[in-house]
Amino acid sequence: MPIELQNVKHTTEFCRYCLMCRHVCPATAVTRNEATSPHGWALLIASVERGLAGWNEETVDTLYQCLDCGLCQAHCVTIQPLPLAISAGRAEVVSQQAAPAVVYGLQQKLQQWGNVYAETAPEHVVGQGEAALIVGAAGRYLQPESVEAAVQLLAATGVKVIPIAVGRETPYLANTLGLPGEARHLAQATLAEIEATGAKRVFVLGPGDLYAYQTILNYLGFVWPQTVELLEVSAYLAGQVEAGKLSFKPVELTDYTFYDPDHTVRAPGRWEAPRKLLTALSQTPPIELFWRRERAAPCGASGGLPFTQPELSALLARARLAEAEAYGVKTLLTDDPLVLYQLRRHAVGNKIELKGLFELLAGQL
Amino acid sequence: MGQEVQVEAVVAELAALLGEAHVSTRESDRLIYATDWSWMLQMWLDRGMEPTMPDIIVYPGSAEEVAGILKIAGRCRLPVVPWGGGSGSQGGAGPVFGGILLDTKRMNRIIQINETSLTVTAQAGIIGTQLEWALNERGLTLPHYPASANCATLGGYLAPRGSGVISTKYGKAEDLVLSMEVVLPDGTIIRTPQVPNHASGPDFMGLWVGAEGTLGIITEATMQIEHLPASRLLRGLLFKDLSKALEAGRRIMTQRLNPLVIRLYDEPSTRKTVKRVLNLDLEGAYMVLGFDGWPEIAAAQEKRALDICFELGAQDLGREPGEEWWRHRYDFYYPPLSLHLPQMYGTTETVTTFDHIERLYYAKRAVIEENYAAWEVNYIGHFSHWFPWGVMLYDRFVINQPPQDAHEALALHNEIWLRAVRTSLAHGGMLNEHHGIGFKLGHLMPEQYGPAWPLLQAIKDTLDPQGIMNPGKLGFKVQAPASGSKNYEFWAADQKTKIKSMSSF
Repeated sequence: MPIELQNVKHTTEFCRYCLMCRHVCPATAVTRNEATSPHGWALLIASVERGLAGWNEETVDTLYQCLDCGLCQAHCVTIQPLPLAISAGRAEVVSQQAAPAVVYGLQQKLQQWGNVYAETAPEHVVGQGEAALIVGAAGRYLQPESVEAAVQLLAATGVKVIPIAVGRETPYLANTLGLPGEARHLAQATLAEIEATGAKRVFVLGPGDLYAYQTILNYLGFVWPQTVELLEVSAYLAGQVEAGKLSFKPVELTDYTFYDPDHTVRAPGRWEAPRKLLTALSQTPPIELFWRRERAAPCGASGGLPFTQPELSALLARARLAEAEAYGVKTLLTDDPLVLYQLRRHAVGNKIELKGLFELLAGQL
Repeated sequence: MGQEVQVEAVVAELAALLGEAHVSTRESDRLIYATDWSWMLQMWLDRGMEPTMPDIIVYPGSAEEVAGILKIAGRCRLPVVPWGGGSGSQGGAGPVFGGILLDTKRMNRIIQINETSLTVTAQAGIIGTQLEWALNERGLTLPHYPASANCATLGGYLAPRGSGVISTKYGKAEDLVLSMEVVLPDGTIIRTPQVPNHASGPDFMGLWVGAEGTLGIITEATMQIEHLPASRLLRGLLFKDLSKALEAGRRIMTQRLNPLVIRLYDEPSTRKTVKRVLNLDLEGAYMVLGFDGWPEIAAAQEKRALDICFELGAQDLGREPGEEWWRHRYDFYYPPLSLHLPQMYGTTETVTTFDHIERLYYAKRAVIEENYAAWEVNYIGHFSHWFPWGVMLYDRFVINQPPQDAHEALALHNEIWLRAVRTSLAHGGMLNEHHGIGFKLGHLMPEQYGPAWPLLQAIKDTLDPQGIMNPGKLGFKVQAPASGSKNYEFWAADQKTKIKSMSSF
């Protein structure tokens, strides 16, 4: 069923006066502002419906401060899909030509290039095989080292992957910006590639991509192919380590942490896999941050924030780095390429060394 | 109302004090702050009425900044409405006269966790659950578990004298606070004595615990904390008769068995709420009974309490229903499990001594059910905060199809509240036990306190001679605050219906 405001209207009606998830909202944690909290966004949409407010530069700016990170929904007893309702609200704003100018610029790029980082079309898929890896746009243009390392690690377990969606966004970014048409187009193209490869297993590089193909896809009206398994690289590798099929040369790690990347809470339990991999690598356990696992706070890479709210996005990245610094962390590891890129981008002046988990693991094969 | 002030000039002054990022006049921000968790203000917005917006929102980071804001507000005679989590149900954080809304959430630092004395000192704007998580990391807990913990702040726990679900053992917020830092309306920063129990003069800390921001702003508090308990024993019991269940609770409390929780649902609640949220299909009065602490002590206390319950005919439903309630104890407050608009509802809770409680409950039930049958009103209640001398009745009325007109809805709401609360007063109850007074019950404060009320008003006049602190709340007389916001339609409508109701009933 396509995402339209009417289809998720009950959610904004429920959430507009409910305050039960505000304590986990990363935007509110930075802004302290009720308007940029889950109930604030819901009440804004509900107020526009009632004619108490209209979509103008200021209200639209407020609406685009949501990170679409999933924390509110993950901590909601009745699992209200508020992030989808907000995306639907943004879609209405876009259709009224009231969205921030940057959104229309991104829309054009997505239509023309399938990504927002380079003026290059996605690469064509070559070959067929049992397994494929969704590389995406961030993997291709921002953090290719992570992709190379993931491919090496998978190969070490005997899995040869065909890279697909190379240079193409997942449907997540377009959808969160309020561009469901573009999201559908991108999803369709990747589904066609999966079919062309004949893959029975499709790997993704992080929880954000998992969410895009597990959940967003359905809301866009598509069905993930029943015969194809969708799994995260980290989870798969951790399973291989547990089964004794993958091992690493030990490395001395001290004062380090694993940063649970944006969207972690959308894949409950996914936080165990990277920790299992680190246990296989080092005898020293990681320092655990406060905003971890079930309450993993994002670093501002989600919700289209780096484009629509660059200042807030930077504040969130710096907040995560500051937290790690306060915990005495010297090395921060994470596995999601986009998140690693976001943290590196905003780490200026920070003494913490930022490393990709896949890169570290591949170096110890 | 009052003299006009130049909001722009005040904004500039506030921005110079706090930094521009911490002052807002954005329309969308003002709109969202137009309502707290109270049914009245939510309904007002729901019906598309003119919002009760603040003129300016500020986010101070320290007591000194709060003091600076109050000095500016005092000079300009602008109302200041403290806002913690906005989770109050009585309109205590509603900016009904516009002015400056002071959001405390930037003041969220934990200053010290003292594991020797078992105390935590934190700024008042910290969210309850965030504080609790930080304590849990060390095996500690602040034993104040209100349903609003996810949204309420530490200051918000104290300002209305809040209770949590384990207050029966650990006390209310007011029992857990050792000391506080408070900014007085004139900007003076004071600290109460570092311990609450002494013989060094009167307990003036009590002036701000329960004052709901009308006498100053709490900016920091030191609270008693505990080790996380070694055991927690919960079970469900079913009484055929509410009267017997109340007697069981009374004996457990007066015999000092120190229960963690006695949560007793009346028959309608058992039939509806317990069924809806916990999926238990029961007829009678459902009770959750709990104990915690050292396993052998908790087990002995539980055994003695169960003997009392069995003597009074209780059926033991085993541990699972009790544990299920514990796991889902806050689920009742998530929509759509919670009451929500377009329903009309009000929690007219009260507290009284054991000798009055049963008559009070039945009297309130009769008053509401008999007078509002035409509205198909539902009256439900549970007894959840127990003391050695009495118990709190958490009772609610619910109307599924209230009037659509905002003024009519407000009038009906105020009328039902008035009847319910006057019935409480007539049967030895208080206006409220833990939700506070706000603007909802302010008009009844003189009636409750009688000859003592002028004393409270005199204290208010002394501390806040200009009446800038949270005007319209707690029943203190409203002076004429200057404000850029001229629309007090909600306040006028609310007062009009209250005056009419008070003269009619």
